[in-house]
Amino acid sequence: MRLISLRDVKKRYELGGAEVHALRGISLDIEAGEFVAIIGPSGSGKSTLMHILGCLDRPTEGNFLLNGKDVSAMARDELASIRNKQIGFVFQGFNLLPRTTAVENVEVPLLYARPSVRTAERRRRALAALASMGLSDRAEHHPNQLSGGQQQRVAIARALVNEPSVILADEPTGNLDTATSIDVMRLLQDLRASHAMTIILITHEPEIAAYGTRIIAMRDGVIVSDRPNTARVT
Amino acid sequence: MMLPPALGFAGQALRSLARNGLQTGLALLGVSIGVGALIISIGLGRGARQAIDEELRAAGANMIIVTSGNYRPQGDAQQEGGAGDETWLDDVPRYIGVDPPRFARSFSGAGLIPVHFEDDPTALHDHPTAKQRLGDSSAGLGAAATLTRADAAAILHAISGVEHVASGVHENVRVYAGADEKGRVWFTRLHATDADLAVIRTGWTFPHGGFLTEQQVQSGEQVMVLGRIVAERLFGSGSNPVGQNVNLWHQTFRVTGVIGTRSWAAQPEAGDDQFDAVYAPVTTVHRLLNLSKLNTILVTTKSAGDVTATAKQIVALLRRRHHISDKAADDFTVKTQAQQVLGHGLPPQLARVVTGNMSGVDTLTIAKLGVSMERANVTMQWLLAGVATVSLAVGGVGLMNLLLLSVTQRKREVGVRMALGARPADVVMQFVVEAVALSVAGGVLGTLIGAFAASGLAQMLHWSIVVSPLLGAVGMLAAALIGVTFGVYPARRAACVDPIEALRHD
Repeated sequence: MRLISLRDVKKRYELGGAEVHALRGISLDIEAGEFVAIIGPSGSGKSTLMHILGCLDRPTEGNFLLNGKDVSAMARDELASIRNKQIGFVFQGFNLLPRTTAVENVEVPLLYARPSVRTAERRRRALAALASMGLSDRAEHHPNQLSGGQQQRVAIARALVNEPSVILADEPTGNLDTATSIDVMRLLQDLRASHAMTIILITHEPEIAAYGTRIIAMRDGVIVSDRPNTARVT
Repeated sequence: MMLPPALGFAGQALRSLARNGLQTGLALLGVSIGVGALIISIGLGRGARQAIDEELRAAGANMIIVTSGNYRPQGDAQQEGGAGDETWLDDVPRYIGVDPPRFARSFSGAGLIPVHFEDDPTALHDHPTAKQRLGDSSAGLGAAATLTRADAAAILHAISGVEHVASGVHENVRVYAGADEKGRVWFTRLHATDADLAVIRTGWTFPHGGFLTEQQVQSGEQVMVLGRIVAERLFGSGSNPVGQNVNLWHQTFRVTGVIGTRSWAAQPEAGDDQFDAVYAPVTTVHRLLNLSKLNTILVTTKSAGDVTATAKQIVALLRRRHHISDKAADDFTVKTQAQQVLGHGLPPQLARVVTGNMSGVDTLTIAKLGVSMERANVTMQWLLAGVATVSLAVGGVGLMNLLLLSVTQRKREVGVRMALGARPADVVMQFVVEAVALSVAGGVLGTLIGAFAASGLAQMLHWSIVVSPLLGAVGMLAAALIGVTFGVYPARRAACVDPIEALRHD
């Protein structure tokens, strides 16, 4: 099943009076269940591409079909609803809410779910997501009481809790040491296997990209290579 | 906007407020000062209104006087006839006048020495009522006694706005100090009344003893309370006559109290109606004089504003009780004190001073005075409300400042929430909930400050301030309103945060 379909997507924006062409025409199809690594140096447009894939931004030109629906012209509220239901974000800096327990952090997407989820059900699902990340015993800890790896696992649990169609991970290992990075990548791989989850990973490190089933390389706003990963780390 | 997310925000709101401890505390203080000012100003306004009402009541604005008889035919009676048209006299039976055997009987009470007629020029009260004698209530016009204690009781129980009722039989009497007629004598006024009169006369004090008790009135004891002037004339100034005897109508009365005044405007004086007077239970006087009627019924209402309505109800009730047909005139007169001219009740010297110095005071009634005092109070209340509004607005600006700071600090949090599916409306809601939580907390504090300051002012400056639970609710409501009003702008700012920019890793 085709999950994502980009057709000639372009993105321009103004920066200090000058026009920046962040994306110069991207066409891309991603099937459900793929683990796609998008790699490129900074300024290659991979972050802009991720914002568009994450429905945080809209393309200037071109179409973006998510699950067969054109989201390139949706209103802010509709995009918020798509992000809530279909996309799970994992960030480089974890972005957990401070002074908020792990389980409450995981509950946040359910807070904005429509139709609304009852309090008890929110708690149950958040605890289940934490358990699947092996963090049952950390549910009541605050982010500053958790290690970097644990924080990122809480963030992954948060991304999973609303059962999205795709997980968008933006440099998920950028703030982690090597051993923890390997743990997190294995976790994402397991997730794909166990939940048949589609994962899109943005990174500038080839070693991290090597965990994907497909590697897309970008440079200067265009795709320079798109191939299955033959040397995949398992 | 849905409720569950809003409730979910409440906990978040409190946590994020705790982060900026000092700023939060200051904003809280700002709101609470505003709410406190509001509480005090409303309390002051209400207190002033109550004080005015009390003053007016003390001045007799809530007093209604029902008098036996009616000198002025009114209503239909006037339309029918008027002066010169005496056709109604045709109905009057031929034996108009006093029935002699009956008159004699009334003065032959067991063991009672008849009172000399010239001692008692107003002793007309034993006449059968006009209706009894003539079969015509119109004949009650004039001074015939038509009121009964049952009428007084009915007024008290049947009309809800009535607070106190006192019966009155009034006689000119000669009282002697001591048990016989050898002591000092003083010609004065006797008011035969109920125990409630003391409650109606709020200006009275009792330097010695107290007023007639319910018990003494019930059992018709021969006791007497003396006005200060009488006490001085009979027993000498400064002496305590309580327990001494007074002779009236060859009967011995025991003195149980002396009446003084607390009001500077009503100093006891020989010849006045309150302090140059003696008071005895109405039952005792009825028994001794073999009477059954009253000259007056004094009524007070619970509120000075009810007087006119209550007076109308009294007229209707008495007409019903006296079986007066629609066409006939009242056989009683109902007057309110508030309609009387102010100068009227004043002691002569004071009245001269007042009327000499103030133009138009001779037409000024308590009712008019009440209206102008009320108007002045309303003006003051608006002024206080203005001050309270300004301080509330200042508190609101402080709150807004804190919220704007908070929005700037929490851009990343807002970005994360948006990435996770928060719509702009959800973000607005979250910040408004925070603002309201903060301002209501300020409201609680402010209400406490206001109530505390109000009671302090009331005690130290003897201002009358009324603070009620309802006022607390008003304070909370004002605080919540401030929260919403001054929280919306920062909340909208938060909703305009660009998640991409907020999430850009640093």
